[in-house]
Amino acid sequence: MKKIINEPLRFVDEFLEGILLAHPDLVKTPGDDPRILVRADAPVAGKVGIVTGGGSGHLPLFKGYVGKGLCDGVAIGNVFSSPSSAQVFEATKAVDGGAGVLYLYGNYGGDVFNFDLSVDLAELEGIPTRTVLGCDDVASQPKERAADRRGVAGIIFAFKAAGAAAERGDSLDEVAAVAQDIVENTATMGVGLTPTILPTTGKPSFELAEREMEIGIGIHGEPGIHRGELESADEIADHLLAPLMADLSLVAGDRVAVLVNGLGATPLEELYVLYRRVHQNLAAAGIEIAKNYVGEYATSLEMAGASISLLKLNDSRLELLNAAARSPFFIEA
Amino acid sequence: MNGKELAEAIQKCLALFTDYADELGDLDQALGDGDLGITVSLGAKAASEALSNLDDSATPAEVVLACAKAFANANPSTMAALVAGALLAGSRTLGDATEVAPGQAGKFALAAAESISQRGKSQVGDKTILDAMFPAAEALLASPDGVADLAAAIEAAEAGVIRSTGLQSRRGRASWMQERSIGLKDPGATAYLRFLQSWHAANSPAEVG
Repeated sequence: MKKIINEPLRFVDEFLEGILLAHPDLVKTPGDDPRILVRADAPVAGKVGIVTGGGSGHLPLFKGYVGKGLCDGVAIGNVFSSPSSAQVFEATKAVDGGAGVLYLYGNYGGDVFNFDLSVDLAELEGIPTRTVLGCDDVASQPKERAADRRGVAGIIFAFKAAGAAAERGDSLDEVAAVAQDIVENTATMGVGLTPTILPTTGKPSFELAEREMEIGIGIHGEPGIHRGELESADEIADHLLAPLMADLSLVAGDRVAVLVNGLGATPLEELYVLYRRVHQNLAAAGIEIAKNYVGEYATSLEMAGASISLLKLNDSRLELLNAAARSPFFIEA
Repeated sequence: MNGKELAEAIQKCLALFTDYADELGDLDQALGDGDLGITVSLGAKAASEALSNLDDSATPAEVVLACAKAFANANPSTMAALVAGALLAGSRTLGDATEVAPGQAGKFALAAAESISQRGKSQVGDKTILDAMFPAAEALLASPDGVADLAAAIEAAEAGVIRSTGLQSRRGRASWMQERSIGLKDPGATAYLRFLQSWHAANSPAEVG
C-alpha cells in the first residue's frame, strides 16, 4: 500500500494544517490546536452555534461542513477516533454566540461519550446545548431500532438543513427540531469493494477478496449484511436503493433528495453510473428527485465503494437544502 | 452550614487531599496513563483559588459549581470532565438553599455517582471510581437520623476499593491491561476514598480520621 504521507503520527495534524493554510478566508482555529476548526467569522452573535465532530479519515465529513449556512465548529480526533471532551468544549466556547449550541454528530460510542461530557462542561459555562445524532445507516439496525443505527453520509442533509435554520435565526430548540426531523427522514446504505489502510499501521481495516463486495459496510469497515461476488453497477444500485425506499415508506408522488457518495477510491464516473440507475428506478416508482448530490461527501480514507442516501422531502426541508451555504468543500449558491 | 462555611470546609479538605497526589499518580501509572496525580493537584489548586475569589454570599450550590468549573478548566482530561459533571449533578440536589441541610450529603453523593455512571456508561464492578462512590453514598443515605455519617461512608468506600482491587478493569485506559489489572488498586476509587478521608481529617478535628 502506498500513501503520500510524512510521519504517520503527524498525518492528522498535517492535513488539518493544510486546510487552515488553504482556506483562511473561511475557517480558523480558535487556539493553537488544528483539530478544532471554526468558521472564520465565529462566534456569530445571536445565532445558534452548531458543533460537529468525529474521527479523522472521512473528509470532507466533519471538517468540510464548517462555514456559513452549515456547522460553526468541529473537533476532530485521530483516524477513526473520537475527539476529546476538552476539544469539543473548546469548539463549543468558540462558536457560542449567546443562543446556545447544537451538537450534531454521528452515533458512535466514543463520540457520544465525549460530546456528552462536553454537555456538562458547557452547562457549567452557562451555554445551553442540545444533541442530535446522525443515525441513517439502515444496514446497521432494523427500523424499530433506528435510533441505534450508525451515522454515515446522510448526516450532511442534517448539517445543511440545521445550518440553514440557524442562519435564518431559528432558536436552539427549533434548530435541534429541524436536525432531528431530517435525521428521521434520512436513510443510507453503502457498499465496500476494497478496505481502508490505516496510516499508522499500514494494515487494512478488514479483508475482502479480489472479486468480493460487501453490502451494508460501515464507514470504518464495520461488517455489512451481505458479502458476495461483485455485481454490476445497476445490480448494486438496485440492492442499495430498495431497502432505502422501504425504510422511508416512499410512494408515488413523493419527492426526495439523493446523495450518491464515494467512499474515497471510487471514481466519479462510477458514481454517476450508479446515479443514473437510481434516477431510473425512482422515476419508474413515480418519485421525483428534487435535489441531488453526487461526489465525495463522507469517505473512509481510500476505501473503494459508495453509499446512497435518500432524504424524504417536503417544502420546508427542501427550502432549507436550497438556502445559501459555503465551506471549503461545499457550496450552495 | 452555609455557602461560606462550605467553601472553607472544601478548601481545608483539598489542602490535605493534594498530599495524596503522588500516591494516586503512582497507582495511575500502573493502571492508566499516570496523569491522575497531576489532575488532582492542578484541580484542587484551581478549585481552592476559585473559592477564594467567590463572594461570601454564594449559595452552597454556587460554591460547588465554582469548584466544578475550576476543576474542569484546570485539566482537559476525561476524568476531570466526569468529576465536573458529577459536581454539577450534585449541585442540583442543593437547589437555591442558603444552607446545606443535614442529610443532604447522601443525596449529593448519590447524584454525583449516578452522573459518572451515566456519562461513563459504567456500573459498580467495572473497577472505577464508582466502586467507592456508590457504597459511600448508600452509607450516607442509610444514616438513621439523617445526619451524614462520614465514618461509615469512609468504611464503605474502603471496602469498595479493596473489593475492586481483585476485579478486572472494564473501563478507560485501564481496560487495555485486561487480566493484568487484577490485583492493582483502582486509582479513581482510591482517589474518592482519599477525598473522604481528607474531608474527615480536615473537618472533624474532634476525631482522628
